[in-house]
Amino acid sequence: MLSFLNGISQNLDTYLVLSGILFAIGSFGFLARRNAISMLMSIELMVNAVNLAFIAFGAFSPALAADASSIALIVIASAAAEATVGLAIVIAIYRNKKTPLVDEYDAMRQ
Amino acid sequence: MNLSVSPADAVAMAPFIAAVLAAMAVILVDFVWPGRRTAALLTTFVGLAIVAGLILVANEGARTTQNGVSTVFNGSYRVDALTTFLDLLFVSIAGLTAAFAPDYLGERRLPVAEFNATLLFAMTGAMLLAGSADLIVLFLGLELMVLPGYLLAGFHKNDGFSTEGAIKYFLLGSFSSAIFLFGLAFVFGMTGTTRIDGVAGYLKAIVAGTAPFSPALGMGLAFLTTGVAFKIAAVPFHYWTPDAYQGSPTPVTGYLSVGPKVGAFALIIRLFAGALLPMAVQWNVVIIVLAATTMTLGNLVALTQDNVKRMLAYSSIAHTGYMLVGFAAFAAGQAQGLEGLLYYGAAYSFMNLGAFAVIASIQRRTGITSNLSTFAGLIRREPALAWLMTLFLLSLTGIPPTAGFFGKFYVILAAVQAGNTNPWLTGLAVLAMLNAAAAAFYYLRVVVYMFMRDPSEEVASIGHGRLVWAGLAVSTVMTIALGLFPGILLGLVSSAAAAVHVN
Repeated sequence: MLSFLNGISQNLDTYLVLSGILFAIGSFGFLARRNAISMLMSIELMVNAVNLAFIAFGAFSPALAADASSIALIVIASAAAEATVGLAIVIAIYRNKKTPLVDEYDAMRQ
Repeated sequence: MNLSVSPADAVAMAPFIAAVLAAMAVILVDFVWPGRRTAALLTTFVGLAIVAGLILVANEGARTTQNGVSTVFNGSYRVDALTTFLDLLFVSIAGLTAAFAPDYLGERRLPVAEFNATLLFAMTGAMLLAGSADLIVLFLGLELMVLPGYLLAGFHKNDGFSTEGAIKYFLLGSFSSAIFLFGLAFVFGMTGTTRIDGVAGYLKAIVAGTAPFSPALGMGLAFLTTGVAFKIAAVPFHYWTPDAYQGSPTPVTGYLSVGPKVGAFALIIRLFAGALLPMAVQWNVVIIVLAATTMTLGNLVALTQDNVKRMLAYSSIAHTGYMLVGFAAFAAGQAQGLEGLLYYGAAYSFMNLGAFAVIASIQRRTGITSNLSTFAGLIRREPALAWLMTLFLLSLTGIPPTAGFFGKFYVILAAVQAGNTNPWLTGLAVLAMLNAAAAAFYYLRVVVYMFMRDPSEEVASIGHGRLVWAGLAVSTVMTIALGLFPGILLGLVSSAAAAVHVN
């Protein structure tokens, strides 16, 4: 059972590096994409990278396991709240400006 | 793990629970009597009064303990003199904002009850932040404080400026939250604890050489610092501020420029002065650089602004810099630096809210911009507002006898004293004084417009509600009282600053 897991790394650093790579992809997406929805998705990716780091720390040191899982649940809840607020704001601005591209939101920089 | 709640725990948590209940009560009242402004406002102010009372009760409960601190939930939330001081400040900020907003919102057909409920939730988050003794509580408080802030910024949802300000505030805000959280994860993983005193203990061991310093921990601390710098809008992480402040409805701008700012400083105090203090020598370099760039750039850009709201946004960046000067002095070993920072926070809250209340009153009728030309000849149109605006601007400049003078005085004095051991702080003190002098130019320009320019067109004056006048009276009294008798706050401030170290 679960034999496909045999090849999975048993080293904490592997997961932390993976988390770092995901976080970097998320930050790059946030800085490079100009679509508000894509930027929102990039932020979600960054938050999930953090969650991976929390869970990895918990999985590799038994003393942190309980803390790490509960923190991950808290982070998931707060990320959901953040996405709700963010989508509400994106919908509101889409109604005003008829575009999701943040470059077009320049009314205050004449 | 002990999760039972003793009566003492209940007392310590009571202000926080009451604040949540007050926010929900406002929603319920609006549900029963839809659109009734008086009912919503009454609930808000009664709720705030109850919260303020409970804060004092919780403070008494903490004072009677052995070391003046009562902790709850296994030490993840604490009530001490600092919590009490900041909580009372947050309640005042929420109360004043709730007093200033209804006139402005009513004219634009925006719901007052939803506004007040959102505002109370934001206050709840700031209160949680002020009392947190655990990094996760710190993060939760931060999220609970800023999420309602995004909604408030976009509260005028049919207005392009308001939603534009909100989306910029939201995107940069949640980006910085993610950065902060990433740092948090590595500090948690490397130190093995989320308790603030636990992290402080681990760092102490590193400084003593008994625990290893790993690059991952250094990276975590760097990410935490970056996230916090975004939240206080320190240069070069300030890009969101001008647009968010200019776009938001004016009473919201007033709130955003003080509430989340003081809240973010509560975060800085709890995080840096609590958890990271053993490594103060290392991170103080960053704080000094941030303070110098923040106040200088904020002031220089504010000089070129013609929109008063945008000008005050840049000036709020500069004020962040002054407060950071106090914090840098504290990190260099001067306890007065933290006292100065707290005094500055209180003084800045009252004078800046007052200034924004005047702008919101002038802009009450829709379609009036916040450009300098709006203020031309205000002394003949609305003499009372013009005089009050002058007082608040003089206080923001830092001219005695106003609250702003003593704020700057204590912060700069602490930096000068810290300069004896760290010459960089002498330089910082000199830079702060030069900046304060340069800032006079753009504040007084508004005064010149109000008193000496003729309006380009005649605008009929409009009446203002009693609530606005009451709020303006409170801000005025506080601005003058803190400028004439700084002693009334000094005792509170010094006991609050002393509470940071007690474990």
